[in-house]
Amino acid sequence: MSKVELIKLNKVFESKIGEDVIAVNNFNMNIEHGEIVALLGSSGCGKTTTLRMIAGFETCTDGEIKLDGEKINHLKPSQRNVAMAFEGYALYPPLTVSENISFGLIREKISKSDINKKVDEVINLLEIKDIVDRYPPTISAGQQQRVSLARALVRNSKILLLDEPMSQLEPQLRAVLRARVKDYMQHMKKTVVFVTHDQTEAIALADKIAVMELGDLKQLASPYDISAKPENVFVASFIGEPPMNILKAEYIKKENNVIFKVFNENTSDTFNIKFSDNSIDLSKIKNIINNQIITLGIRPHKIDFTSNSSNIEGNTKIFTSHWLGDQMHVGININNITVIGVAERDFNLKSDSIKINFPSESLNAFDKDTEEVIFNGL
Amino acid sequence: MSYLQINNLKKSFKDDHVLKDVNISIEKGEFFVVFGPSGSGKTVLLRLISGIMFQDNGNIQMDGKNINQLNPEERDISMAFQNFALYPHMDAFENIASPLRANKSDDETIDKKVKEVSSLLKIEHVLTHMPKELSNGQKQRTSLARSLISKPSVVLLDDPLRNVDAKIRFEMRLELPKILKEFNTTVIYITQDYREAMALGDRIGVLYDGKFNDIEKPRQVYNNPKSLTSAKLFGDPTINNFTTNVQINNGSININIGDEKFIGKNSNQNINGKYIVGIRPEDVQLSNKKSDNSIKVEFRTKTPLNLKIVYLIKFLNGVEMLCSVSENESLSIDENKELFLNIDYSKIHLFDSNNEETIF
Amino acid sequence: MKPYLWSLFKFLAYIAIIVFFLFPILWIFSMSFQTNDTILQKVPSIFFTPTFKNYIGLWEGEISIEGFATMYVFFKQNLINSLILSVFSVLVTLILGVPAAYAFARYKFKGGEDIAFTLLSFRFAPALLIIIPLNLYFTKIGLYDSYFALVWVYQLITLPLLLWIVRGYFEDISVDIENAYRLDGHSWLKSFFYISIPLARPGIAASALLCFIYAWNNFVFALILGSSSIQPVTVGALAFITASAIPYGLIACGIVVSVLPTLILALFIQKYLVQGLSLGAVKG
Repeated sequence: MSKVELIKLNKVFESKIGEDVIAVNNFNMNIEHGEIVALLGSSGCGKTTTLRMIAGFETCTDGEIKLDGEKINHLKPSQRNVAMAFEGYALYPPLTVSENISFGLIREKISKSDINKKVDEVINLLEIKDIVDRYPPTISAGQQQRVSLARALVRNSKILLLDEPMSQLEPQLRAVLRARVKDYMQHMKKTVVFVTHDQTEAIALADKIAVMELGDLKQLASPYDISAKPENVFVASFIGEPPMNILKAEYIKKENNVIFKVFNENTSDTFNIKFSDNSIDLSKIKNIINNQIITLGIRPHKIDFTSNSSNIEGNTKIFTSHWLGDQMHVGININNITVIGVAERDFNLKSDSIKINFPSESLNAFDKDTEEVIFNGL
Repeated sequence: MSYLQINNLKKSFKDDHVLKDVNISIEKGEFFVVFGPSGSGKTVLLRLISGIMFQDNGNIQMDGKNINQLNPEERDISMAFQNFALYPHMDAFENIASPLRANKSDDETIDKKVKEVSSLLKIEHVLTHMPKELSNGQKQRTSLARSLISKPSVVLLDDPLRNVDAKIRFEMRLELPKILKEFNTTVIYITQDYREAMALGDRIGVLYDGKFNDIEKPRQVYNNPKSLTSAKLFGDPTINNFTTNVQINNGSININIGDEKFIGKNSNQNINGKYIVGIRPEDVQLSNKKSDNSIKVEFRTKTPLNLKIVYLIKFLNGVEMLCSVSENESLSIDENKELFLNIDYSKIHLFDSNNEETIF
Repeated sequence: MKPYLWSLFKFLAYIAIIVFFLFPILWIFSMSFQTNDTILQKVPSIFFTPTFKNYIGLWEGEISIEGFATMYVFFKQNLINSLILSVFSVLVTLILGVPAAYAFARYKFKGGEDIAFTLLSFRFAPALLIIIPLNLYFTKIGLYDSYFALVWVYQLITLPLLLWIVRGYFEDISVDIENAYRLDGHSWLKSFFYISIPLARPGIAASALLCFIYAWNNFVFALILGSSSIQPVTVGALAFITASAIPYGLIACGIVVSVLPTLILALFIQKYLVQGLSLGAVKG
């Protein structure tokens, strides 16, 4: 078994001049056996520091790390039974690619034929078969990264830690290698923690994602929940490509309708999104005061282009469209306010004026000051 | 009569023959995208056109005149660099004004024009800032303003959106064509992101192996790539491809997958032999119910991708495929039950198994 | 309790180190305001009545020493010589060295590294090895005892120094910044003067200062290749030690005056050193 518990984990870098840096702030997380967890955030958010604390390369200023119930804070990295792929690859220059990959297995006392079998499997998985006899300095950065990943995957350790394992991958290989690596990790029932700044990578691979920013944990949830039920504006805007449309709106309760009056902060342009009371879940908006200004979000993919009716009150025009093969990105102008939508690849943009809908179940609302979620879907 | 004509351009660095034979005719006012994988020579090409690097062979003509011998400052071409290349010791205003100072405009004109361009690019509030005080997005716009202000005939943009964050990147993708139309200029734009290439380009030139392989409108390149390499460069996830025996006759196509076959309608020429079959993940259907021509497959894993779900499946003979399915459709697929796969026969690509060129 | 004691200990240690290093300098400074009778007391004292006799003597060229006759002081001329030699050496080095450093930085040509290293190697060679041949050659071509010759020889010291430092600064400037300036429509020469040099200014200033210091401090070349009419302060200081008397106060005064130009230059250049290369205009 390999269950990992991070309890109130804290890392402070003291500074002789200026303020101390709180790299990781009171971080709590459980990783179950066989789970793949992503630490996601932009540079400086504390994700790599957290990973290094789990590995034992960084001491914890405060808090505990437990493996299968036992506290391991005091253990050296070599005593913790973890395998790690470093951001800098850290390959052994005098060994060939296949020797690098099989190096860690020598300690594990398994037969030579088993070693070869395991190594062959990851070599084919990561498409590095044609460089197996080459030496690290002679291969490209992307290839070195794959070798480093292969070396870590093949080990039989309790936990697998990966620091930006696929950042240098060619775009064409990303989708298929992510799928194969996820397949491998799931079938080998590996417990994995990986660090990335690429949200598509986190969403693709992880069972659970911890979104971090400046040392704080912004949300810990499944990929689906992170995308559909963000707990704050930061997570909502970080996840998704194209990013979520973030709009400022005034909440207006009028007769039997709920109206969100969207406005542009710099100009006087506005448009309304109107819902009738019986089409939405009124319990979700019970805490919003009439005329309160809130932050609204709607994902481009969720804008409905197929409906015959529209709940938008405003002059709606498509001012640009990009056909991207499997989908269409549409630039929509509603009373001079720009909104991005994603439509089907065969979407027919005959005329300028089209009917679009903002489905109530896809609308997200956040408090304009605290940026915390008010509702995810009505 | 093309405005920018490049013939047989060649450039090598010692043993590295980056550009072998580059040819292109670009029309006046065209937004031409140079797209290719990392290291394919896109930046080198732009540097040769701008004059800051000299070619080993070949020539460049602008408006009918040969410009090979002209220095960068003589070519009426401007460039926005990938790393912005702003002057660190001058504020944003002076950075943008630099081209106008070079052609000796008077202070009043400079002031007016800088304010105009910076207002168009929404950076008038940071004109007095030094480059190190600007965010990446602001630096990129300042660099763009500088390259546009003197209304050059040709503007070269080297992956300008690469180093800015996602939100601004999408905004700029929508705004950039509008902004550039105001300046009525011919644009050559480098990108490694196929979506950006398809969104922005009037035509896309696909650069690899030292030359342009496809030069087409976006829809054309995506639907009718000239080779498997070009097909793989467009589309996420990448096009599925495997080598197998294919027969086409009398309007019907047979694709062998181990002991099984895909049989469907296809009106291409008669064919019999070993070919590379290409089918895009979005042109593949998965279902728990077997239909006429669908084949049983083994589910391996699924990875979400931008509100779609990508299924990794394996056929009995080991061939793997990625299938891209919408969120809603995936709700009706139970991966624990039997899974059957069918393909859209009208969307199949066939490539020669030796040179990977497109058959159809 | 413990951290407080540690801070106190550190504080006392700092004071001790500062006093240790600064004491000789401060003592010399105070000596320059005294004459031998107070300096050479049996028990040296920090307290004394200051006198400007030494400074006046230096300026006027003669000073009377108690118990002896008037001593003639040639030091003012030495000071002027030092200034002439150092300033012109630095100017020549700047004019030759800055464009050369740019060439080495930007243009990788065959044998370039070898030439650069050869120039650097001149600094490794001890001056004593070459002064005799140099003296003979210079005398033959009539260059003995001329400012021109010494400035020329000083280039052996100053030019490699400036070359290596400034080359590094030019290499640190992204070449795309210069390219961008040319694409704006400016000629190469303009880009050299308005982009390359301003951005390398801290390096140029720092190495100019170092060159000045090395030129100013040179002893061997100045001693052998010139007569007293062009000798700088380094050599001129020898004259203070006479058979009849060693006027320590005067020597101290000479030291203070010798240090002053370099000190003033350093303070003046500091502004350019601190400015620093702000590479925030280029990503990364």
